[in-house]
Amino acid sequence: MGAVSNIDRDVEPGPDWRGDSINAAATEPAFVEEAKLNRGGFGVMFWVAVTFLVTLTLAAIFAEVLPLYEFDETFRGENRDGPSRSHWFGVDGGGRDIFTRVIYGAQISLIISSVGAVLALVIGGMVGLTAGYYRGRVDSVITTFTDATLVIPPLILALSLILFLDNDANRRILILIVVFVLLSIAPIGRVVRASTLVWSEREFVLAAKTMGARNGRIMFREVLPNVAPALISYSLIVMAGLIVVEGGVAFVGLSVPPPTPTWGDMINKGRGDLDVAPHITLMPAMIMFLTVLALNFVGDKVQERFEPRESVL
Amino acid sequence: MGVIRELRARPGPFVFAALVVVVVWAWFARPPVSWTFALVFLIGLLGAFLTNGRYALQRVLGVVPILLVVSFIVFSLMASLPGDPAINILGPAATPDAVERINAELGLDEPFFNRYGNWLGDAVMGDLGESVQLRETIADGVSRTLTPSLQLMAYSLILASLIAFPMGVYTAYRNGQRQDRVINAVMLGFFAVPPFVLALTFVLFLAIGGITVGDTDIGFKILPGARYVPLGESVVDHFKHMLLPALSLALGISAIFMRLLRSDMIGTLRLPFIDLARSKGVAPRRILWRHALRPSMFTLLTVMGFSIGGLIGGALITEIIFTIPGIGGYMFNGIVSRDFIVVQGGTIVIATMYILILVLVDFLYLALDPRLRTSGGSGLGGGG
Repeated sequence: MGAVSNIDRDVEPGPDWRGDSINAAATEPAFVEEAKLNRGGFGVMFWVAVTFLVTLTLAAIFAEVLPLYEFDETFRGENRDGPSRSHWFGVDGGGRDIFTRVIYGAQISLIISSVGAVLALVIGGMVGLTAGYYRGRVDSVITTFTDATLVIPPLILALSLILFLDNDANRRILILIVVFVLLSIAPIGRVVRASTLVWSEREFVLAAKTMGARNGRIMFREVLPNVAPALISYSLIVMAGLIVVEGGVAFVGLSVPPPTPTWGDMINKGRGDLDVAPHITLMPAMIMFLTVLALNFVGDKVQERFEPRESVL
Repeated sequence: MGVIRELRARPGPFVFAALVVVVVWAWFARPPVSWTFALVFLIGLLGAFLTNGRYALQRVLGVVPILLVVSFIVFSLMASLPGDPAINILGPAATPDAVERINAELGLDEPFFNRYGNWLGDAVMGDLGESVQLRETIADGVSRTLTPSLQLMAYSLILASLIAFPMGVYTAYRNGQRQDRVINAVMLGFFAVPPFVLALTFVLFLAIGGITVGDTDIGFKILPGARYVPLGESVVDHFKHMLLPALSLALGISAIFMRLLRSDMIGTLRLPFIDLARSKGVAPRRILWRHALRPSMFTLLTVMGFSIGGLIGGALITEIIFTIPGIGGYMFNGIVSRDFIVVQGGTIVIATMYILILVLVDFLYLALDPRLRTSGGSGLGGGG
């Protein structure tokens, strides 16, 4: 990275231009082009992802009434057996049916991540909206605090907080949600703040101000509706992120304690048998991967639809 | 004086040369990691001061309040954690007298703000306290565990860049075409795999022979399993053992890098100067890599800074899976054994490095964007 100031200096017309255009649609503005791409609807994969998520959610909600085994029911002599007709995902090291445990594990993952994401969006959204709308001193105080929490390693902070808030592990789901919300406020606040900074410069905000609208009204009636679409699709991506973090916390054994199944714990417990019975780890890992993938994919598509120009991150 | 003037006019090459010297020196002399890091930061600082003193000063002074807030958050969190340090040291059968004596010795009988002030003063001087359980100072523990973590971080970042730059440039070039869509879909897949799932999958298929479906074996035994080999012991073994952990961290990050680079690059390719270069007949490859890449890198650089910080302390689970004695595991043990002075010290070191790296990234902007070099000019907000 030298400090070459004139990057066009040594440009000469050469014969090697093949007419292979760098950007065929350069004449049209970005959003027109993207909108054209999106006109054909969301695409098949989008609906596959939605179907997967809906099925998983329904299975988790109705786990008790579905024809599953008990999640702590042991099958003697079948330890570490691979997938079969009676045990779709096989049996784990403790002789328990993995398919059943994956469905019950989905309960924990989905509850924590969805409640966490919604609460984090509400609080983080408020923080970001305030910082971005008022600017100046309010902004710099809020930004200093969010920056300060962003530089503390999140998993370490989460684990310390879990131990700080809770020793007996009975209210663990609640504690996890609180911790994850605390962790997500700063990143969400940043996104909303950036978006608010842009929108509150617009003419209709100025118009509302000239008409004497109060700050609160402008924030919620003028700015928020414009920031909200990006926020809602972002919530799916936050949810996917929380599933991964919960998996990590469960992996080190600090999520909801056994016998309740969690994906991270199942993946961790299967590690010792990776060479003889890889399905014990692979099955929950695969479902976790598919869930996170589907959430990200749906979030992405929705974001493209709402805000074609900002469809990154 | 000629050298100084030349240095002020174009500090980039000089700074770059100085950094190369530091890296080569560090490779052979193996100084403590903290020294190397401090040197790199000082050189970057010097370069920034020479190019735009006011901007550099502003940026460095801006670090102070954030560091104060971080240290206060960390200290008050750890101070309010349940568990009495004196009982931890003496055991549950301690007499009240002994507890009082230990508390006085550790300064725990003073008011909260005095304790915070003392701790902060010591921390600034490099004294982060001592772990009673581990029988070593925090400074020793951190520098012992920081080396493997920084190595892992560096390799992950290099791998991620090696994947992300070609892919990002190529997909921007093929924007909307089939190649773009396929690469994007694959990268979204990488992004969605949790690193520990990726790590275990790699171990399964590349290190321990994979799975058997029917009569066919799927998988290889080409890489060694989990172990950490220091660089000084065997360079080849070191990299063999670091490949899988670095790769499992790198893939997810590379997906983020690629998408950022792609979208910024698409924006750049629509600008008039690209049309000018094309009309002059510059080869597409040259337009992409020499003309369009540099102005498209700013968002990516910022996010790179963030992911460096995230990798230093966030690789805990990868460290556990591959038994790498890094700082993540060091702090995790501190949490589990309630040795909070370890967590406190480790967190503050990681947070400080994180902030300094973000400042370095901002200085890198100076090298990349000529508009920022004149004082008063603030062509880019930075987003930082």
